[in-house]
Amino acid sequence: MIVKGGIVYDPANGLYGEEMDLFIDQGRMVEQAKGEEIDARGLLVMPGGVDAHSHIAGKKVNTGRIMRPDDARQGTEPRTAVCRPSTGYTVPNCYAMGYRYARMGYTTAFEAATPILEARHTHEELEEIPIIDKGALTLFGSNWQVMECVRDKDLSKLAAYVAWGLRAARGYGVKIVNPGGGEAWGFGANVKGINDPVPNFDVTPAEIIMGLAQANEMLNLPHSIHLHFNNVGKPGNYTTALETLDLLKDIKPSRMRQIVHVAHMQFSAYGGTSWRDFESKAPVIADYFNCHNHATMDMGQLLFGSATTMTADAPLEYGNARLTHNKWSNHDIELEESSGVVPMVYFRKMLVNAVQWAVGLELALLVKDPWKVLMTTDHPNGSPFVNYPEVVTLLMSKSKRDAEMATLHEQVPKRTVLGGIERELDWTDIAIMTRAAPARILGLEDKGHLGPGADGDVSIYNLRPEEVDTSQDHALVKKALANAKYTIKGGVLVSKEGRILAAPPGRTFWVDAAVPQADTDRLMIDLEEKFAKYYSIQIANYAVQDAYLPHAKVIRAGLPVPLQEVA
Amino acid sequence: MRSITIAAKNAFRISVEAENISPDKLAPLTIEQIGSLFVWQGNRQKKLSDLFVVEGDDGPATVEEMTIRLVGDFSQVKRIGEGMTAGVVEVQGSVGMHAGNNMLGGLLSISGSADDWLAREMRGGKVVVMGNAGNYLGAGYRGEKCGMRGGEIEVRGSAGAYLGEHLCGGSIRILGDAGDFAGAVNQGGTIFIGGSTYLPGAEMSKGTITVKREAKVLPSFLKTEIVQIDGLAFQKYAGDNVDNGKGELLVGVGSS
Ligand SMILES: [Zn+2]
Repeated sequence: MIVKGGIVYDPANGLYGEEMDLFIDQGRMVEQAKGEEIDARGLLVMPGGVDAHSHIAGKKVNTGRIMRPDDARQGTEPRTAVCRPSTGYTVPNCYAMGYRYARMGYTTAFEAATPILEARHTHEELEEIPIIDKGALTLFGSNWQVMECVRDKDLSKLAAYVAWGLRAARGYGVKIVNPGGGEAWGFGANVKGINDPVPNFDVTPAEIIMGLAQANEMLNLPHSIHLHFNNVGKPGNYTTALETLDLLKDIKPSRMRQIVHVAHMQFSAYGGTSWRDFESKAPVIADYFNCHNHATMDMGQLLFGSATTMTADAPLEYGNARLTHNKWSNHDIELEESSGVVPMVYFRKMLVNAVQWAVGLELALLVKDPWKVLMTTDHPNGSPFVNYPEVVTLLMSKSKRDAEMATLHEQVPKRTVLGGIERELDWTDIAIMTRAAPARILGLEDKGHLGPGADGDVSIYNLRPEEVDTSQDHALVKKALANAKYTIKGGVLVSKEGRILAAPPGRTFWVDAAVPQADTDRLMIDLEEKFAKYYSIQIANYAVQDAYLPHAKVIRAGLPVPLQEVA
Repeated sequence: MRSITIAAKNAFRISVEAENISPDKLAPLTIEQIGSLFVWQGNRQKKLSDLFVVEGDDGPATVEEMTIRLVGDFSQVKRIGEGMTAGVVEVQGSVGMHAGNNMLGGLLSISGSADDWLAREMRGGKVVVMGNAGNYLGAGYRGEKCGMRGGEIEVRGSAGAYLGEHLCGGSIRILGDAGDFAGAVNQGGTIFIGGSTYLPGAEMSKGTITVKREAKVLPSFLKTEIVQIDGLAFQKYAGDNVDNGKGELLVGVGSS
């Protein structure tokens, strides 16, 4: 396949809007190829979009669907010759997830939170999401085995458990959500800060985070720890964010990447002592990111309208349910986590919501290096992913931001600095924040760029970057981004102007990390006892079988382990 | 008045979804146009005239003037009268699931029995069933905050489980028994059950449930006084106290 004459933005390979042809052969980018020609003359061309933090599969997504028949009725589309039927807006069905990402030019999305115990469900759903490539991060932050290893300062056993857990969950990386809080919630409590001990375990969130970060680097995992801070969503929580980030700054990375990726930073950049004096602390957070290189973030942008909040931070969801009197799901995951789901509507005239909206944008605009900030909405917590074009245009247009600001609660200019930010992002920034950076942060070598050997994932938009004024013509830009002119996934033309042309299955990435057998042997003694005493299932039935991942892509990592002698 | 008859050509083994069979959809159309409306049978889209014979007065007419008579076996035909605002649908026999969904006005009368989800999330009008009704009569769909919000339902026989679940208004009258959990999460509607039921009013916050014969009452209801209604004695309860509910539950005493 040949993509002819596009204006190519491929920042990972130093291309910032160059007119050139692209070649794809057998699903990969190559130097030369023949075949079908796609006319992209003068049009914006980027690598396929990569979403490093989204909630697209598993039990809490499905709970959201069950709780919200009102949401299912929105966005229904009948089946076509190619597509199965779609339903839903904030919690679409599996098929719709694949089609809607592909329409926007996205070709990869990672599910951000799966407990090992529920990973089989996650993979059943991921397998049903067509077109895009996927992966799932695995929750470790309130896990009994993790906390015991941290308490005993047994780092090699912790690394062995992380490797075992990733293999059992067919997971891609280490996710930590409100560390210790998921366990405390089992007793109706929460941890209040990173030095507040977890009930019954004699460890602090700070120790859990440090232990997992060290184990993560020991195992040489492609992705860093992926951290949802303590105190997310609370006034004054920016101090928790800064304390936590500072904790990690001296750890040596095992790869050329960050030590910690911060999930949905917007929800952790708040000042004030209560909802009354609630304000943005995005400038302080952005300053920290500008002065340090060990951390990256995704925005977790909030948009006005309908959302469904879902997180392993169960006490946070309890707070949401009390605040909104809305439907609430609360869930305990045995020795591993807790979680919750609450539907939500965000309002322009509600001061807290309006400030939250501004905080996300401030973060993305005030952090100077676009490689450190990913464009996300923490789908569907801040807004469903179909609204990414709205976020991108807000970042690219000061006049759009000003027009929006004029419709918000009148206190917003006093509580935020957004109105004074002149910066408007360009296509290079956007290509980094939606393609190159998420791929690099996740450690996906073949994603987010268009160099030879990369996956043949290309998105082409009906926009002429040399003519369109992104600052003024934001409505045009938004429309073009919502439906790519062409989306190519693995060398297959999957979407054209919003119409799905083909729906091949996508792959699921997971990480198999090697550890010394002696460490695993020590670990298994602990685990066998836990399964015998506490788990509701047998250890033999725990791990996800390969049959659940018919399109698996295994990435090897781990400690250098001596080859075993063949007997 | 305009009256038409829709006759089922046979007893359907694969169920039919026919939300087009409502006074609002049919009133403005001629008999011929009605025949060419679409219905679904299983996963196949068909013309209404493929499965039914349509006869009667030719149109158009106003919705208020419209009477639709359904004859033959409609027990596997779903969504009859969905969203109707006026007029009459008269089922001569039994009707399938989800009849009278989101109904706003008019009369839906069923001479036989109705399957599950009859009058789901109804807002107005009247539904009368001469036989029995299935589960989730007048309830909200699973996950929905409100079931029936207004209007009237009368069942001469008995009703299944979860009668009027999430009721937010309107009144339901069952002459026979009701299944388990009648009036669960009642938020302001009225239910009368002529026979008996089991665990009524779980999590109710408002509204009234009256059970003439017997009911196993949840321990979270507080016994208050004995009251007389139409010469009969009823034990009154307040609840459901798991949710600080202000609902009223009345259960007959001494009648047998
Ligand atoms: Zn998230």
